[in-house]
Amino acid sequence: MSVSLIQVCRALTVAGLLETLRRKDLYVVLMLMALMVLGASTFRVFGVRGLEIFIKDTTFLAMGIFSTVLTVLIAARQLPDEVQRRTIYPLLARPITRGQLLMGKWLTAFITAGACFLILAGAAWLLLLMLGVPLKPIFGQYLLLKLIGIGWLCALGVALSVYLTPAANVTLSLILAFGSGLFNRLLLMAHWERGLDALWLNWLYGVLPHYDLFDMSQKVVYDWDPIAWWVIGAMAVYALGSGGAYLLLGWLRFRRQVLG
Amino acid sequence: MWAIEVRELVVEYRQAFRPPVRAVDRLSFGVREGEIVGFLGVNGAGKSSTIKVLMGFQPPTAGEVRLFGQPATDARARQLVGFLPETALYSPYLTPYETMRLYGALQGLTGHSLNAQIEALLAAVGIAPKMHTLNRHLSKGMLQRLGIAQALLGNPKLLILDEVSSGLDPVGRRELRDLLRLQRERGATIFFSSHELGEVASLCDRILVIHRGRLIAEHTLSELSGRFESLEDYFIRTVQQGADALAQEVAA
Repeated sequence: MSVSLIQVCRALTVAGLLETLRRKDLYVVLMLMALMVLGASTFRVFGVRGLEIFIKDTTFLAMGIFSTVLTVLIAARQLPDEVQRRTIYPLLARPITRGQLLMGKWLTAFITAGACFLILAGAAWLLLLMLGVPLKPIFGQYLLLKLIGIGWLCALGVALSVYLTPAANVTLSLILAFGSGLFNRLLLMAHWERGLDALWLNWLYGVLPHYDLFDMSQKVVYDWDPIAWWVIGAMAVYALGSGGAYLLLGWLRFRRQVLG
Repeated sequence: MWAIEVRELVVEYRQAFRPPVRAVDRLSFGVREGEIVGFLGVNGAGKSSTIKVLMGFQPPTAGEVRLFGQPATDARARQLVGFLPETALYSPYLTPYETMRLYGALQGLTGHSLNAQIEALLAAVGIAPKMHTLNRHLSKGMLQRLGIAQALLGNPKLLILDEVSSGLDPVGRRELRDLLRLQRERGATIFFSSHELGEVASLCDRILVIHRGRLIAEHTLSELSGRFESLEDYFIRTVQQGADALAQEVAA
């Protein structure tokens, strides 16, 4: 009896979701976010005008930081936890391939981190409604693009976990996720200083991961109209291409890796 | 037919700026279908390295390993095998029931047959009353019982058990022996490593002793009966002689 990739993914994902719900990380993050948003809203007491943008900015900043940290932690612990607990052996003792296990772990991380993000976003939306700060339809596109980004970040985290220790993986993933916005600015500054002929800078820009491109929170904060759908499509293609490449690199090492 | 065939197996671990460590050195043996074979050796003798190659967890440096005539790395071979790793700490955030469901689904089992198997196996290893308690609240012995139960999912034809009685109390060991005898009665082949020699003596048809990665003795228990005070006496003498012989070989 062979086991299909769907069966592997479903089994691992159900277990992963149960583990994440019972770890209680999500509840701590939810409380922290609520505290930040409610804290920002207290400025109303002082009669400050135009506070909606400040409250929305704080909400999306908190949501962005907490969802990214949760995603990195969830993705980075998928395989190392199994190795440390030695439960990787009963997993690999089943009639499944290492490629199936890697894909299953990526999907577990993606669905779990995606669910955490949607819970955070739902709570944020409710909080903002309660504070009388409604969101425009572009919020839907924000959610979709962020989910694509979370899938991409999970691919990066799972792939790096095959090469690095868990601590190094978390550190590097967080630097790449939060630092990616800086790459754009540095590139623009370099182009401004040295002109567009700095080819190596263009090459570096293309090679470095760009998690920042999946974040359109500022457009939601400033109530933009929805963006063209082809932009979301292009980002999905970027996520599929580079995320797939990360998983491929992870698999190339994991398939023959001596574990434990 | 051979359930396990190991030919000239070599396992080496590479180290940076140092010569590789040879954990298993030209090891050859076979286990026939239906046999119960004990795999003995002192700590660091190469038992776990051999078992990792048997399970396809790591490639051999040299040599060949087959399970039921198929390469050990083949997923079809693993379909026939149940495996218990040495001291695994099953997810602290899952219950024994959920842990069994996870492994059962990865085995290709679904629906009522899986549920029935889980309940029967957890009852057989004595943790049915704790099947909905989180694993982190279970003792080491109970986790070992859970490990044994997951190894038996799908009624495997071959059981490979690494340090099978680790963490079990005397009652648990007796229950384990009874359970393994039942597995044998249904025709399963059992290959296990253990430091509990009394258990080995009461269960095995044959024992293999390895030392520094080499097979130094292979006997049926009937061959040994009456010649030694106990299996422990035999084991200590064999390992000592094996160590001396290896030392002489190196000196020559």
